[in-house]
Amino acid sequence: MSSRSSQRRDYHIVVLGAGGVGKSCLTAQFVQNVWIESYDPTIEDSYRKLIEVDGRQCMLEILDTAGTEQFTAMRELYMKTGQGFLLVFSITSQSSLNELSELREQIIRIKDDDNVPIVIVGNKSDLEEDRMVSRAKAFAVSQSWGNAPYYETSARRRANVDEVFIDLCRQIIRKDNSAPQAFDDDISGVYGQGRKDRRSRQSRRRKKDRSCVIL
Amino acid sequence: MVKADNPRSSALVAPLSIHKVEGRAQDFSAPARHKSNNSSKSSTAASSTPSQMTPPATPDGSQEEDLMQQAERPPIFHNFLRAFYPFHPTYAVSDTTVTLPLNEGDVVLVHSIHTNGWADGTLLISGARGWLPTNYCEAYDPESLRTLLQALLNFWDLMRSGHRSDAELFGNQEFMRGIIAGVRYLLEKSHCLTRESPLVQSNDGLRRNRKALLSELSALVKAAKRLQEFIVTPTSADDVNDVIDEMILKAFKIVTKGVRFLDILEDDRRKRQPLVNRVMETVVEESSVPPTPPADSTSFEGRQHGDNLSDAASRRTSSHSTASGMSTSTRAAEQPNTPSRQRSPGSHSSATTPERRMSRSGSVVAKRPSVSHRLSMTIPAAQRHNLISERLNVGHDNLLSHLGSFIGRLHLQSQSTADLVVTIRHTVTAGKALLAVVEAVCARDTQSADTLDQARSAMYDRINKLVVAARDVIKSSGLEEDDVVMPQENGRLLMAATGCVKAAGECVAKCKFVLDRIGDFEFEGGLSFDVDPAPYQANHISPGPNGTSVPGAKALAPLDPGNRAPPPPLIIPLYEKPLPEVPVGGSPGEKDVMPRPQPPLESVAEGDDTDETNSSRSSFLPPLPKLHSPLMTHDDYSPTDRTSPQDGEYQASLRSGSIAVSSIGTTSSYLSSVRGSESSMLSQTSTRATTPDVSNHAPKNTRGSLSDSSLSGSHSTIADDLDDGESRMLEKTFAHQLMYNKDGQITGGTLPALVERLTTHDSTPDAMFVSTFYLTFRLFASPIELATALVERFDYVAESPHIAAPVRLRVYNVFKGWLESHWKRLVDLEALSIIESFAKVKLLAVLPHAGRRLLELAGKVSSTDGPLVPRLVSSMGKTNTSMSQYIPADTPLPTPNLSKAQTAALKNWKMGGSSPDITVFDPLELARQLTIKETNIFCAIMPDELLGSEWTKRSGSNAVNVRAMSTLSTDLSNLVADTILHHDDFKKRAVTIKHWIKISQKCLELNNYDSLMAIICTLNSSTIVRLKATWAAVSPRRKDMLKGLQAIVEPDKNYAVLRRRLHDHVPPCLPFVGTYLTDLTFVDAGNPATKQLPGHGDSEGIQVINFDKHTRTAKIIGELQRFQIPYRLTEIPELQEWMQAQIVRVKSSPNQEQVQQFYRKSLLLEPRANFPRPSPIDHTSFGSAGSTGSVSSTGHKEKFDLFGWTHSRERQLSAS
Repeated sequence: MSSRSSQRRDYHIVVLGAGGVGKSCLTAQFVQNVWIESYDPTIEDSYRKLIEVDGRQCMLEILDTAGTEQFTAMRELYMKTGQGFLLVFSITSQSSLNELSELREQIIRIKDDDNVPIVIVGNKSDLEEDRMVSRAKAFAVSQSWGNAPYYETSARRRANVDEVFIDLCRQIIRKDNSAPQAFDDDISGVYGQGRKDRRSRQSRRRKKDRSCVIL
Repeated sequence: MVKADNPRSSALVAPLSIHKVEGRAQDFSAPARHKSNNSSKSSTAASSTPSQMTPPATPDGSQEEDLMQQAERPPIFHNFLRAFYPFHPTYAVSDTTVTLPLNEGDVVLVHSIHTNGWADGTLLISGARGWLPTNYCEAYDPESLRTLLQALLNFWDLMRSGHRSDAELFGNQEFMRGIIAGVRYLLEKSHCLTRESPLVQSNDGLRRNRKALLSELSALVKAAKRLQEFIVTPTSADDVNDVIDEMILKAFKIVTKGVRFLDILEDDRRKRQPLVNRVMETVVEESSVPPTPPADSTSFEGRQHGDNLSDAASRRTSSHSTASGMSTSTRAAEQPNTPSRQRSPGSHSSATTPERRMSRSGSVVAKRPSVSHRLSMTIPAAQRHNLISERLNVGHDNLLSHLGSFIGRLHLQSQSTADLVVTIRHTVTAGKALLAVVEAVCARDTQSADTLDQARSAMYDRINKLVVAARDVIKSSGLEEDDVVMPQENGRLLMAATGCVKAAGECVAKCKFVLDRIGDFEFEGGLSFDVDPAPYQANHISPGPNGTSVPGAKALAPLDPGNRAPPPPLIIPLYEKPLPEVPVGGSPGEKDVMPRPQPPLESVAEGDDTDETNSSRSSFLPPLPKLHSPLMTHDDYSPTDRTSPQDGEYQASLRSGSIAVSSIGTTSSYLSSVRGSESSMLSQTSTRATTPDVSNHAPKNTRGSLSDSSLSGSHSTIADDLDDGESRMLEKTFAHQLMYNKDGQITGGTLPALVERLTTHDSTPDAMFVSTFYLTFRLFASPIELATALVERFDYVAESPHIAAPVRLRVYNVFKGWLESHWKRLVDLEALSIIESFAKVKLLAVLPHAGRRLLELAGKVSSTDGPLVPRLVSSMGKTNTSMSQYIPADTPLPTPNLSKAQTAALKNWKMGGSSPDITVFDPLELARQLTIKETNIFCAIMPDELLGSEWTKRSGSNAVNVRAMSTLSTDLSNLVADTILHHDDFKKRAVTIKHWIKISQKCLELNNYDSLMAIICTLNSSTIVRLKATWAAVSPRRKDMLKGLQAIVEPDKNYAVLRRRLHDHVPPCLPFVGTYLTDLTFVDAGNPATKQLPGHGDSEGIQVINFDKHTRTAKIIGELQRFQIPYRLTEIPELQEWMQAQIVRVKSSPNQEQVQQFYRKSLLLEPRANFPRPSPIDHTSFGSAGSTGSVSSTGHKEKFDLFGWTHSRERQLSAS
């Protein structure tokens, strides 16, 4: 790990979610340089951001489908490039959470991997009074989706915005690192805490693999 | 580096910015300097040594400049500086150097500041551009002038930026508005808006200044009008540039007048206020009005009343530290850096530097007499000579120039003790002279004597400190084997010197205040003063006491003996304090001149005036030299006197040498940077900037900022100009509530300001602005608000009768355009009653015709749905793209390619027979029909559909066409999947895939990116990609073709490829709508609805509409509309019908299910079992094969992902 930490990596992150959940605000908030007064989304760099995660430089290239949710056939095109996914819903809309499950399945199918780095994001946490999805419920959903981390964010107040991206980035890095190593090393060496989850996830996957094969 | 912080990132010439990389704050060291020097010196500098390059050699301190900058840098780049101290380089006129002479009170527009403290600036008073020392200046940003200064910046940027066409720029007189608004703001703030205001009535100076200001304004307006005419009658570029130059100068003049006006106002205000109140007030004021010791002095008037001296002094220091960065702490921080810098120049250029130093001080001295007369212009010159005020000024200037040169040297290089001695001596002499004047004033005025006395003794004290500091320095340096003053000592000297500057400033200020009260008077001892510069000038080189060697004293050799006539060896006796006495040497002759009662100081002074004799008092404290003796006789000085002729000689020769050197330094860097920038714009602008219309200005007259006399320049104005200016001034305007970018486009403003802009009287509003406004106003204002604002505009323009007519007509036109073409019945209806009553009552009365017409329109609008005058859908796009890109109507339509067999198959299908396979039809024809189908929807998209994320609304969305586009696109994708998957035979599937590849290729040829995207999406989807057997039957050539197509629609890097293609694409073209939708969404999400107008001092600044956001939105919509031009293709109804039927068939099930069905079908056709999924162990093996990417996905996919794998591979490679 340390040997690579000095290098800059490019990671592709895809932001998905139903229309109107504030995806674009989330991305814009994250990507935007606070010093720049106006944001021009039409240029190449408008979705790139360099962050530091655990001491390493990561260039995140973010693909946000905001505005084109209705082009359902295009989702795959987006998903293909992603190494990690932010699944965003609005805590003020139950249906927006429901729609995520489809997206997640599609991701797993396309990536052919049910262990894809994913973060579940409940946006609009500033609208507590309009909350329709309880924290517990959302958390339960995220647990059932392979223990994906769950965050509540407020793009408007810039709460938890960076955290979400950093968590996702960390997952991607972990995956990067773990892949070439022996399975056991991977668990004990790199993960520490996450070990249990990891193992259960792995075993679940094996089960699921089988069922997939039957299909 | 400073430049980088410049908020106005305009196209200004930044001559030295190339060097800026060098230095963060700690880099102001020799190496950095040399680098910059070397890079900039180029051709001319052959003879010069590096150390001489940077600053023009003058009495200014580069170090102090650094300090100042350093302190200022984090907060802001100051766009305007004001000189608090005159700067008259003797070589200012040299043909190679562009060094600006400064007069006290001059205001300078700064373009860039070099790290060495020299700023590239334009002198407002003359329009001359060149280098000037920032340590002579302070940031200038008084609250009431801020609007005007900002406007001047915009004006300047705009006039100089080459990237808008002149016609566009000058056609609308927008650029004038800011200036006018700025002047108005100034007058408004100062309660002098109208001629009748009591303030104006009561103060003649104000009245005249106001008049002058207005006349300048109208002159500018006139010039601007001339410019406007130019676009009608073709004129040579030279003429235009001439007028532009003229206008820039005029704008400068306006600001200059504004500055003066403000000065007078301040003065006036101070005079009116009782002394006591002033204490607080001035303290407050100080934060906004930079303390300018000499000129602004009165502001410190009552302040130190009762303060004890040190207290006052420290307060001054601290206030300075914020204002100008001269604080001790900053200075201390700087110290560590100085050694290297100060030594290195010395080592490089020992030959020239000392000489330069000397000559410099000589030049300053010579210059001094020309410094002027601030308080009493009215008295004939001959008499003025002896006026006490004149004396005061001369004395002050004198002292400051010495101190300035002293400080300058401190930074510039290391210096020899000899130099130091000389400078200190001069300084003290000058200080004494000044004190004498002050005393005279004191004597006259019994009332305020103690205030003045305090200031005087503070000054006395400061000078004393300087002397002591210098003595200590010399002492310590003498102990070392070196005649160079140790840089680390400079800090102390610097502090002492700055202290002197400040104290002198205060003292003089108080004197002036007193003089204001008691009136000017003739200085009795006057004439003797005139003589005074001479003596010490003559011997000013004299290296101090020499000859008298004391035990332990070191003989110091001159720095560079080889290079010049050997001066007498300097011997500085260690324990002999040469310094203090130097200045002091109370000349007995003088004593009688000044009748001065000098209470506290006297005693101190007496103690030690005798340095030479009194050599053993090593620890001696700085009893100041006898202050009262303004002059010293020569003989007092030192033995060196005898060398003076010789000195004078080499001084002269050296001076010219140093001029050459310094000028080469600055200009070459300046020129080379200009030269270096290839862009013609830069050089053009710099020409504009540097054309000084000097002849029009009388710097002498105009310079004193505080004086009434400075008005003189403005008297010659014509009456009608005044009226013009006046009336303009009185126009009620919201122009100051607008924000512009550097292209002069509006980026923000309040609704009234935007409405005003929409209805300008003197120009047609910018088309882009108008269409953006119409398109987006509902996003920032309700229809009622807009209607009300327009009516108000109609009303308040009545206050400015001369522009009322055109403005009112425009108001009417805006209403008319709204009703005719931009009316949205559902939302706008609420405003109709306002419009109607406006038309009936107000408009009808003034413009009967228009009133009737508007009423008529209002009637129609309420009864009809949809726009009365259908606007071209492309009305937005039209404004920025050329209509010539239309395909001419006579272009022959392409012949449909439909064979008889195909027609028959379609007929058969229609009769209920089986549906023909897609592969039956010609790919080109299919692509054409697809294009027709899509383009029909695309062209029907209304701009409204694209606003406010209308298309994403879950229900009740009005964006029918946008949604139809996305639906069609998705349907097409599904159709592709369906047609492929419905074949059980993999060969047939392969044929279908090939066919779709061909169709998408044809779509590309037709510039139909939308269909291309839809098709590629499916061909590249996991459902299709996984059909390995099928793909195996597709020829490599087709696969390559597909790869090429795929690359075009790749979303990577924000659709970089696609965007590049669409940029400047010629219609007909069907762009992929999705990118526009995403862009619009992000413009909305990423830009706030309002922005903060920079506050005007007291106020926080107001929230204004972020019009930039709406402009961006409109721009994107305009881009889309640019392509809303129908293709000229022949529709084949049968084929269209068949395609529609196919789409409907595929559509039958909800979308998501559809996708899953396809996937299941795909799995059935080519089951996964063939490709057992790798186990975790397989993972590892894949991983060890070298990939570090997401192996679990790629590992498996590699087997069947024909296209995806290349990407992921590349990713992995780049990742590792």
